[in-house]
Amino acid sequence: MKQLKITLVIAICVFMISGCTTTTNLTRKQAYPEMYRDPLLSILVMPPINKTNKVEAKEFFFTTLSQPLCEKGYYVIPPYLSMEIFKNESAYDADLFIDRPMDKFANYFGADIIFFTIIHRWEKMAVGGSITIEVEYIAKSTKTNTIVYKRSGTLVLDTSVQNIGGGGLMGALVQMAATAISTAATPHVKAARACNLFALSDFPSGKYNPSCISDSTQQAGEKTFRATVKVNQ
Amino acid sequence: MKMKLIFWLITLTAIFCSCTVSTQLYTWGDYSNATYNFIKTRTDKDRDELITCYKKIIKDQSGERKTVPPGIYADYGYLLIQTGKSDEGKQMLSKEIELYPESKVFIEKIIKNIQ
Repeated sequence: MKQLKITLVIAICVFMISGCTTTTNLTRKQAYPEMYRDPLLSILVMPPINKTNKVEAKEFFFTTLSQPLCEKGYYVIPPYLSMEIFKNESAYDADLFIDRPMDKFANYFGADIIFFTIIHRWEKMAVGGSITIEVEYIAKSTKTNTIVYKRSGTLVLDTSVQNIGGGGLMGALVQMAATAISTAATPHVKAARACNLFALSDFPSGKYNPSCISDSTQQAGEKTFRATVKVNQ
Repeated sequence: MKMKLIFWLITLTAIFCSCTVSTQLYTWGDYSNATYNFIKTRTDKDRDELITCYKKIIKDQSGERKTVPPGIYADYGYLLIQTGKSDEGKQMLSKEIELYPESKVFIEKIIKNIQ
């Protein structure tokens, strides 16, 4: 009996250690039922809504969102082309559209999903080597005008440089200086890409992905997440 | 004996779950950086680099789908049109529709506006 208990405890521990993302008890189908009810094939990525002082954050996100969504198996409306249209029509501010009916986007772009991003925080810490990003992702269906996916959270991107300068006080100072330079030089595009990849990891797969529909039983991520990700230099 | 079997079954399942290899559907090269640089600077140099990046994505696809990702033909075509290469640009836009029929609604509007 004792041996049985030990065996089960070890097995449960292996399960717990093997999981590397924060997940809920909900499956993706339970968390995002509308994404599975009616096949949504194409996504229009809206220019991100930037609530930070980091002006470039909007472009960091806009240029890194289509790739993970394509990899999820969706048709993403050509981002450069759609951006040019938004700019020409003076519609580059997505804040104007987030609470409005989505059917106009369906008619013009042929999109099933309109994807909004709200950047709440973009903070670079030179000492300690990290970029903290607080962001919210909202996907709305143009068919039902409802939110079909919503996730928000804080991601700390660790950009620290390790093992430089040896030990002791001098080593620690060299390490600190190297980290400061590294953070200043870290391509922010890389940070935005890492943030999108992490946050959209539980976005249901689309028709071009072999796990379309079959991923419905996989666990969904937490609605609100907080995590630290190491960004390789 | 039975317990050992259960233990190994659970352990192996856990290992398989944690070691799932996520394969890429497409090959992207330096797409994000090239796009960001051009959008930010709008210089001829960055535009040429973005065009080179598009060409490479179109030519070298080793991802699971072995085809050009959504939007690439269209964005490349539109950039060509902006640089005065209208015919070649329109060809690329048509290729987008051919490869991804769901783009037809939008891309046909663009082609119509250009003509």
